[in-house]
Amino acid sequence: MTEDVIASRARALAGALAEAGFARLRVREGDTEIELRRAPRNGAHPALAPASVAGDSAAVPGAERAEPAERRADLISSEVVGVVRLLRPPVSEGSDLDGDRELAYVETLGIRNPVRSRGGGHVTAVFVTEGQPVEYGQPLFAIER
Amino acid sequence: MLKKVLIANRGEIALRINRACHELGVATVAIFSDADRMSLHVRHADEAFCVGPGPVVRSYLNVPNIISAALISGCDGIHPGYGFLAENARFAEIAADHGLTFIGPKPSVINAMGDKATAKRLMREAGVPTTPGSDIVASVDEARAVCEQIGYPVLLKATAGGGGKGMRAVTAPEELATAFATAQAEAEASFKDGRMYVEKLIVNPRHVEVQVLADEHGGVVHLGERDCSVQKPSHQKLIEEAPAPELDEAIRARLHDVAVTATRAVGYTNAGTLEFLVSGDDVYFMEMNTRIQVEHPVTELIYGVDLVKEQIRIASGEHLGFMQEDLHPHGHAIEVRVNAEDPNNNFAPAAGTLSTVVFAGGPGIRVDTHVYGGAIVPPFYDSMLAKIIAVGRTRESAIVRMERALSETRIEGVKTTVDFCRELMEDPEFRAGGIGVGWLPAFLARRDAA
Repeated sequence: MTEDVIASRARALAGALAEAGFARLRVREGDTEIELRRAPRNGAHPALAPASVAGDSAAVPGAERAEPAERRADLISSEVVGVVRLLRPPVSEGSDLDGDRELAYVETLGIRNPVRSRGGGHVTAVFVTEGQPVEYGQPLFAIER
Repeated sequence: MLKKVLIANRGEIALRINRACHELGVATVAIFSDADRMSLHVRHADEAFCVGPGPVVRSYLNVPNIISAALISGCDGIHPGYGFLAENARFAEIAADHGLTFIGPKPSVINAMGDKATAKRLMREAGVPTTPGSDIVASVDEARAVCEQIGYPVLLKATAGGGGKGMRAVTAPEELATAFATAQAEAEASFKDGRMYVEKLIVNPRHVEVQVLADEHGGVVHLGERDCSVQKPSHQKLIEEAPAPELDEAIRARLHDVAVTATRAVGYTNAGTLEFLVSGDDVYFMEMNTRIQVEHPVTELIYGVDLVKEQIRIASGEHLGFMQEDLHPHGHAIEVRVNAEDPNNNFAPAAGTLSTVVFAGGPGIRVDTHVYGGAIVPPFYDSMLAKIIAVGRTRESAIVRMERALSETRIEGVKTTVDFCRELMEDPEFRAGGIGVGWLPAFLARRDAA
C-alpha cells in the first residue's frame, strides 16, 4: 500500500473509531496493519493519528508502538457487498465470546460469506441489523480482545 | 426508460455516464474501490458502494460484488463504460441473468467481435474489406505458408489480443519462428488464449474509425468517422479528431457505408465503433469495439448528439430519435488526452497527489475529467486524468483553440502530457493533416536524436 492509500484508509477507520468510542483500534488487511489511537485528553497529540503501520517499510514518522498490556479492539468488516444475516442467537453489545465463532454471514448473489469473530473477546459494538445491505470494508462488529 | 443505473466504472467516464443519466432523469449508483473513496464520481452519484480494495481484480472487476451492489440498490440497468468489464460477454450475461439490462450489445455479439479472427471472418462474409491474412494458424509451419502467400511484412496477432499484447511484426522469414513463439507465450500469459493468426502488415496506415448507433428495432445510423492516427509507440491513442482531415470524400463515404452494412450484418445493437486502416485508396476493417469509446466526445461535438444518452435510450428499448438524413456534422473537433505520464520517459505512468488543477474554459472547450486540486492519483488504474476537447468551425480554428486551452491548463504534482501535446499542435506535419500511425513514433525518435 502507498502512504496515500494508507492515509485514506486511516481516515475512514478514524470515523469508525470515534463512532465505537474506543481508545484504540487495529485493523489487519493482508500484510498491512493500521493502528489508530485516540489522543490523550490534554490534546498533546493529533486527534487521531496513525500510530503504526506494520508490514510496510514506510511507517508513519513519529509512530509509537502499542503498549502490549492494553486491551485492543478488532473491527470485523465485510469482505463483500451483500445483505447481512445475523446467526442465532445473535450477538449483541456486551456479549462475551469464548473462542472463534461465526457471528453472521453476508449473502452475495445467493452465496453465504461467513463472518467469524477470529477468536474470543468482548463484543463492544454491533454496527448492523438483520437484512442490512453492506458494502466492502463496512464495519460489522467490534470485539475487544 | 430505465429507472436506476449502476455505473460499473470509475474516473471521467463514470462521471460522463452519471451526467447522461441525470439529464434523462435516471437515478445512479456508483461503485468505487478503497483507493477511489474521495473520487468525484462517488460524490456525484445518487448512491455509492465500495466494492473492494484498490487493485482492479478485487474491485472494478469483482463481478459478484458489482452485481450484488446493483441488486441491493434496486437498479434495473448497468452501464459498463469502457475498459474493465465493458467487453466482457460473461458479465453482460450474468447481468441479464439477474434481471439487469446491460447497456451495450448482446453477449453473443460482444463475444463474436471480441474474438478478432471470428470478427474478421464475419466481416469478410458481409462484404467488408479486411487485411489479407489467415484464420487461426495452429503452428509456425502453417503461419509460414500463409506468410509466403501474402508476402512479408506481416503481423502475428493473438485472437484474444489487445493493447499490443500478443502481437509481433515480422519483416523476414528468418524472424518468424522466434516471433511466433514469443507472441504466443505473451498471449497465453495475458489472455489465457494462445491462438494466433497472421495478417498482412500495412505500413504507416491511418487509423480511421466509424461511430455507429443501432436500436433494437432495426434502426442503424453512422455518426461519421474519427481519425485516431496520433498513437504512442504502445499503440495507445493520444489525440483524436473528427472528421478525419485530408481524407478523400469517396473513401469517407465508403467507410460510412461499410460500417452501416457491417453493423446490420452482425445484428449489432447500441453504440459501437468499427476501426479501419486506411492506406492510399485501400481500406481494411481492423476490429469492432462493442462499447462507448474514450474519444466519443469529438463525434458528439460535431453531430450534436449525446452518445451516452442514446446508449441508455436504446437499452431502454426506444427507437433511434433520428434517421441518417437528419445527421449532419458541423465544424471540426479535436481531443487531447491529458495523462499522468512522462512524455520524456517513454510515457511512464505517474501516481501521486495533484497539488494544482486548473482546466481551461471559454468558447469551444469541453473538459471531461474526474480530478481536482488535492485529488490523489492512485497507482492502480489507467493514467488518464482528463480529456480536453476543442471544437471550431474549421480544423485550424479547433487547433488554435486547443493550443489556447492547453496553455491555460495547469496540473502540478505529477508529470502530464499537456505541454507535449501543445508541442504536437504546433508541428507542421500535424497541422497539414492526414498523418499515419507511424508519425508520432517518428516524431519521438527525431526528438530523442536531437
